[in-house]
Amino acid sequence: MNKNIILYGAILIFGIAAPFIFPAFKVQLSILCILIILAITWNVQGGEMGYNTFGNILFYGLGMYLCASVQVGMFFPLGEWTEGGGEKTFVHTPAQFFQGFAVGLAVAAVVPAIIAGLIGYSILGLRGHYFAICTLGLGVAAGEISGGIEIIGAGQGFTTPPFPNVDRLEARGEFFYFCSFIVLVFTFLAVKAIYSTRFKLVLNAIRDNEDKAEAMGIQTMKYKIIGWMISAFFCGLAGGIMGGLVGYIDSTDVAFDGREMGVFMVLMAILGGKGTLWGPVIGATLFHIFKEGFWTFFLGWQYVALGVLIVVIVIYFPEGIMGWLREKYPERFGEVVDEADRKAQVTLK
Amino acid sequence: MKIKNIIITFVSAIAILFSTSVVSLAKVVGDKIILGAAISLTGKYSSNGVHTQNGYNMAVDRINDMGGIKVGGKTYKFDIIYYDDESNPKRAAQLAERLISQDGVEFMLGPYSSGLTKAIAPVTEKYGVPMVEANGASRSLFTKGYKYLFAVLAPANLYLDVAIETAVELNGGKGVRIAQAFEQDAFSQDVRLGILDAAERTGSKIIIDDKLPKELNDMAATLAKVKAVKPDVLVVSGHTKGALTAIRQIAEMKVDVPMLAMTHCDAAKLSKQHGKNSQYALCASQWHKTLTYKDDFFKDGMTYAADFEKLFGYDPPYQSAESSAALLVFKDAFERANSFDQKKVRDALADTNMQTFYGNIKFAEGGQNVDKPMVLFQVMCDDAGKCENKVVAPLKWASAELIHPIPKWSER
Repeated sequence: MNKNIILYGAILIFGIAAPFIFPAFKVQLSILCILIILAITWNVQGGEMGYNTFGNILFYGLGMYLCASVQVGMFFPLGEWTEGGGEKTFVHTPAQFFQGFAVGLAVAAVVPAIIAGLIGYSILGLRGHYFAICTLGLGVAAGEISGGIEIIGAGQGFTTPPFPNVDRLEARGEFFYFCSFIVLVFTFLAVKAIYSTRFKLVLNAIRDNEDKAEAMGIQTMKYKIIGWMISAFFCGLAGGIMGGLVGYIDSTDVAFDGREMGVFMVLMAILGGKGTLWGPVIGATLFHIFKEGFWTFFLGWQYVALGVLIVVIVIYFPEGIMGWLREKYPERFGEVVDEADRKAQVTLK
Repeated sequence: MKIKNIIITFVSAIAILFSTSVVSLAKVVGDKIILGAAISLTGKYSSNGVHTQNGYNMAVDRINDMGGIKVGGKTYKFDIIYYDDESNPKRAAQLAERLISQDGVEFMLGPYSSGLTKAIAPVTEKYGVPMVEANGASRSLFTKGYKYLFAVLAPANLYLDVAIETAVELNGGKGVRIAQAFEQDAFSQDVRLGILDAAERTGSKIIIDDKLPKELNDMAATLAKVKAVKPDVLVVSGHTKGALTAIRQIAEMKVDVPMLAMTHCDAAKLSKQHGKNSQYALCASQWHKTLTYKDDFFKDGMTYAADFEKLFGYDPPYQSAESSAALLVFKDAFERANSFDQKKVRDALADTNMQTFYGNIKFAEGGQNVDKPMVLFQVMCDDAGKCENKVVAPLKWASAELIHPIPKWSER
């Protein structure tokens, strides 16, 4: 217990100090937080519940568009803001910017959760590959549809409100870093709390044998929907922050970016070890470091390097890093191992 | 044990990589002025990204060879740090941040495409880093009140404006019926707005208004409609892929229209890749080698084109020419500012008024170049099947007469 407090404390202090220790890396650190949030939330479905979803990108993209739209729409006519030929220039005052962003984030969290509930109700009956393919379609469809809606910029894209001038160059980076860090902490604690209840056991039961779980009297549908709504809530928040951070929303390349973000969130969870609390966190962190390294030092070959990494993960760490550690040091995970028995098994092999 | 070794190697390698990447470069090192650029080396804009990079590189070498930049009595040379933005706005914004805050770059060159420029501009603006960009033409870039953004090119809504006006003129001043299809991206959508304006001005009617997906490789549905309703003008814009797809499918489906107006014909090397199939296509261009602008570095368009071909093995599209021009603008501004202070360089940029081989450059309040009109060229082929782009409008530079209407496929 004591150890845990020290560990969490250390991480918290590091998180707070990070932007001041590495001032040049603020954006990368913010994106790291976003990536961890996405990996943690993906893990709720993909890891704990056994439903491999590619649809979480939908909530991320929705959050992004909603947050920016609300932030603009609260003070200025949205249609004029996004109109390509618009000759008008609107500038948010600092108060407007922050108020808009706060309300925008709230909307960006709640609406995707509601939509997850509605969509979940209709498609969470699908299982296995069928569910995966169906959710893959969701992200693609959302990208194409949003690319045709004029009021959010359609193909022109949507420039989010520029950060107000506050005479401090570092302010923007710090603001978005702390937003994403706070949401990350919030997400982690929420998911940790949920995992310590019966809810997690139900999700695991669904993963291990859904029919049996149902036969035991568990309303699996209800739990599946609630699980997805929780994921959507945090994905939406992450999307909202990311929109402000990037500053420009494009329907298929930034918001409903299933090709990159949508795949990355799965990869990160698998790299770290799905079905564990810390796995996605570790996976996302390593993945981000690798990725940034590849993108800097293997310019032009970055995707090849990333591909090699994926192959290495699949061959050497099929259970992810946490799974590998668990196999290697089961005692640390609270599993009792009979040393004699283990040795006997090893020699048998 | 083996796995452990692999991990240790990996982790230490990454640690080393990171520790080296923290070493930041200053904007001016020794006699070098270091500019930063995020360029699409991979992804959907990679061919145009390379045109842009070639243009930048050629100008850097030329300026350095011809004596460099003189600031405060000292001679400096240009150098560029490139990153690959993968044609992705999210990546581009991150890279801009990285160039500025990690690599210490204080002056930027633009990426390729309006969408990516839109993603980078807020970042350069925030840090007060002057950016001269050569490939972001979307009008909305110039209405956001950016102070540090300068574009050497004419805004996108003017691209095909002239084509519509020409069509109306040839129609005896009466409005024409327009069919149009545009890719879902910032640039093409802006070209569309330009057409809408032109249509309203000339009393023309838009009878087909289609949107094309970003991963553009089929527009048969639009062309089938065009075949059915027979418009007077067909307008297509979708970067290089749009131009290639349109020509390929128009030839395959034998679509007859009196006027076909497009963008990116030269970047797509249409006349080379599709030969006679691309004949009569009318293309908007920021620049053409036969224009008579001059400067001290590249002399004129023809010399530029010849030198470029010698270096890179193909005829320079306008994307390369305007990218080269961006560096001429920077050199000029540095020398007039006589300082590396970002504010002073910015003010010098704003006061730019010069002629380059690419055209006159003078920036309006919003940062767009207002002193350089667009040109239209038409792909024309001789009997042997050798095709060339010939300027047909504006008349001042025309080297050939517009062929209108386009002969039917059955008569070719």
